[in-house]
Amino acid sequence: MKANPRDVNSGTYYMDGDVASGYGALAAGCRFIGGYPITPSTEAAETFARIAPKAGAVFIQMEDELASIAAILGASWSGVKTMTITSGPGYSLMMEAIGLGAMIEAPFVILNIQRGGPSTGVPTKTGQADMMQSRWGSHGDYEVIALSPDSPQELFDYTIKAFNLAEKYRCPVMIMADECVGHMSEKVVIPPAEEIEIEPRRLYDGPKEKYLPFKPDQDLVPKMVKAGDGYNLYITGLVHDEKGYPIKNQLEKGKRQKLPTRRLVDKIRLNADKIIELTEEGMDDAEVVVVSYGISYRVAVRGIEKARGKGIKVGHLRLITVWPFPDKKINELASKVKAFVVPEINYGQIVFEVERCSHGQANVVLVPHGGAGVHNPDDIAEAIEYAAKEKKKIRKVIEWKTRLEKFVFEGGCKLNK
Amino acid sequence: MNPIITAFANGIKKSGVELSNIVVVSDIPFEPEIIKDLGVDFFHVTRGRAIAFGTGLKLGNPDLKIVAFIGDLMTLGGNHLVHSGRRNMEMLVICVNNFIYKEIAGTTAPSVSSPSETGKKFHGTGGFSAFSTFEKPFNAPHLANSCGAVFTARWTAMHTNELTNSIANALDKRGFSVIEVLSPGPNFYKDINQINSELLDFYYKNSITKNNEDTRNVEITPEEKIITGDFTDKEKSPFIDTYNAQLGKILGDKFIPHGGQSGRD
Repeated sequence: MKANPRDVNSGTYYMDGDVASGYGALAAGCRFIGGYPITPSTEAAETFARIAPKAGAVFIQMEDELASIAAILGASWSGVKTMTITSGPGYSLMMEAIGLGAMIEAPFVILNIQRGGPSTGVPTKTGQADMMQSRWGSHGDYEVIALSPDSPQELFDYTIKAFNLAEKYRCPVMIMADECVGHMSEKVVIPPAEEIEIEPRRLYDGPKEKYLPFKPDQDLVPKMVKAGDGYNLYITGLVHDEKGYPIKNQLEKGKRQKLPTRRLVDKIRLNADKIIELTEEGMDDAEVVVVSYGISYRVAVRGIEKARGKGIKVGHLRLITVWPFPDKKINELASKVKAFVVPEINYGQIVFEVERCSHGQANVVLVPHGGAGVHNPDDIAEAIEYAAKEKKKIRKVIEWKTRLEKFVFEGGCKLNK
Repeated sequence: MNPIITAFANGIKKSGVELSNIVVVSDIPFEPEIIKDLGVDFFHVTRGRAIAFGTGLKLGNPDLKIVAFIGDLMTLGGNHLVHSGRRNMEMLVICVNNFIYKEIAGTTAPSVSSPSETGKKFHGTGGFSAFSTFEKPFNAPHLANSCGAVFTARWTAMHTNELTNSIANALDKRGFSVIEVLSPGPNFYKDINQINSELLDFYYKNSITKNNEDTRNVEITPEEKIITGDFTDKEKSPFIDTYNAQLGKILGDKFIPHGGQSGRD
C-alpha cells in the first residue's frame, strides 16, 4: 500500500532528526500520538502536533508517560496507527505497559531519543545506554524490534519502517536513536507519497462469529479487528487463549493449556531473518570487524579509515536492526575474523551480545564511552590496531582504555602522550 | 460484583447508546467473567491505567463510548482521573469501592476512613494495615467534581434502580462522569472487621440518599451514614469538541476535524 498524499510533506529540507521523525510518523499513516515532553525528544512530538491536525491525525499531551503509552495502546486497538515519543526517564516509566502491548499484540512504535546517564543523567547530551532496556525492560518473556538510525534522513525512513514492522508483526517496535542523531541537522528528502510503501493493518475479514483475536496466521501473527466493530472482544494482559479469555482458571484446575508466550517470542525469533537489516562494508578480507550502531557507526567510519591507513584489514558491520540480534551473522563472522571491536556509548551492552554469538571464536573488544559525547575516532582506531595484533584468545570482553577513561580515572591529562 | 454488572447492563439498555459502540476498560482488580456475555468489547489493562487506555480508544475512534471500571482509581489511576476531569474526556468511570484491594489480601485502599472508636468496622486490618489505618481517605465524588467531572454519583451495589438510572444518565452525557459504587469485598474483610450482617446489606442500610448534595459534604466517615445520590450534573464541552473548535479557529480550512472525516483508514 502507498502512503496517503495528504500525510506526506514531500520536498527537500534541512531539518534535525527529531523533526524528520515527526514527518516520518505522519507519512507512515500514524493517526495518534500521546506524548509527554522530554528532552531531547520533544521536537519530534512538537512537529507531529503541528502537522497532524491538517491530516486528520491527533496529538495529545498526556499527563505523564504512563498515560502516554497506555493511551497509544488503546488507540492502537481502536484501529489506528500509533506512536509515543520519549527519552531515558520517560522510557523507564513506560516499561510496564510495553509488556501489556506485547501481550495484547497491539502494534505500536516508541521513539526513544537516548540521552546520557542513569536517572536524570545528561538530558541534553547523547547516550546509547538504553539498548538492553529495550530488550528486557518489561517483566516476563516477550520480543521486540529495535531500530537504530544514524542520520535525520534515516530517522524519517526508519520511522516509516518501524510502523510497517509494528503492523506486520504486531509487537512493540522501538526507534532507538540517540541525541546526536535527533539534534543533528542535515538534508532530508521526503519523497512523493507514491514512493512510500506502507504496511496496512492486518485486518480480519472472515465471518464475525468465527473470529479469534489470538489465532495466529502462518507467520505466527494473528489478524486484528477494531474495537467497537461488534466482535465482543475480550483482550487482557493475563495469559490468555486464542479467544482472549484468561487461562489462569484452567491452569489452576490442572488443565494443560498452550501458553501464548511461546508465540510472542517465536513470531519474532522465527521471522528474524526477514526483519534484520544490516550493512556490511569491507568484509571480504577483514581481520577485524567493527560492529556499531547509531551515531557510533558514523564515528567508527573515521576510526576505520585511520586503521586502514596503517594497513589493517577492517570490516564494518552496522546494526540497523539491533533487536532481534543478528546471532547468525555474528557467529558466521566469528569463525572468519580475529576480533570484533564494538564502540558504543555505554559501558558494555551490545558488546555482550557480540561476545555471546562469537562463542569464543574471536576476541571481542569494547570501546566504551560514558555518554554526553561521542567517541574520539583515534580510540576506535587504536582499539582496532590492538585487536589486529593480539594473538592470544582472551576469553572475556576486553575493555579498551580510551583517552577519556584514562583522563578521568588515572587523574591526569595524558591526552597528548 | 454481579449486581453492578446487572445495573450496568440495564443502564445501557435504558440509555440511547448502542451496545456495540461500548468499550469497557478495566484494570487489574476488575475482571468479571460475566462481562463476556454482555456483548461489549472488553479490555483488561495494567493497574490504574484504564482511564488512560480509554482516552486512547476514544481519540482513536471518537464514535466509541468508553466505560472504565476501576479499582485503583485514586491510587495508581489518580493522575489520570485528575487530568481526564480537567480535559473533560468523554468517558464514564465506574469506581468500584470496597475499601480494600480484594486481590491482595485485603490491603487497604485510600478510600478507607480514618479510625475512631465507633469506626472500627471500616478499618482495613489485613495486608499492610495490621494496625489499622490512620490516613485521611479520599472523597471520590468530591475529587472528581473538583477536577471538572460533569456527572458524579455514589450508590451502593444494593441501590439497583438508582444505580441503573445513574449509569443510563451518565452514558448519555458528553463528558467525564464518575460513579462510585460501594460494594462488598471478600468475606474475610467482613470477618476481620466483625460486621455480622451481610456487608451488602450493611452498606445499604447505613446509607442515606441525598441527590444534588454538595460533594464537599459526602465524605464517608465511620460516625455518619453514607451519603448516596446523584451529586453533580452539569454541561461542559467535551475534549474532542473543544479540540475541534480551537484548532478549527486557528487553522481554518486546513484543519480536518477529529471524528469527522478523520482517517480511520
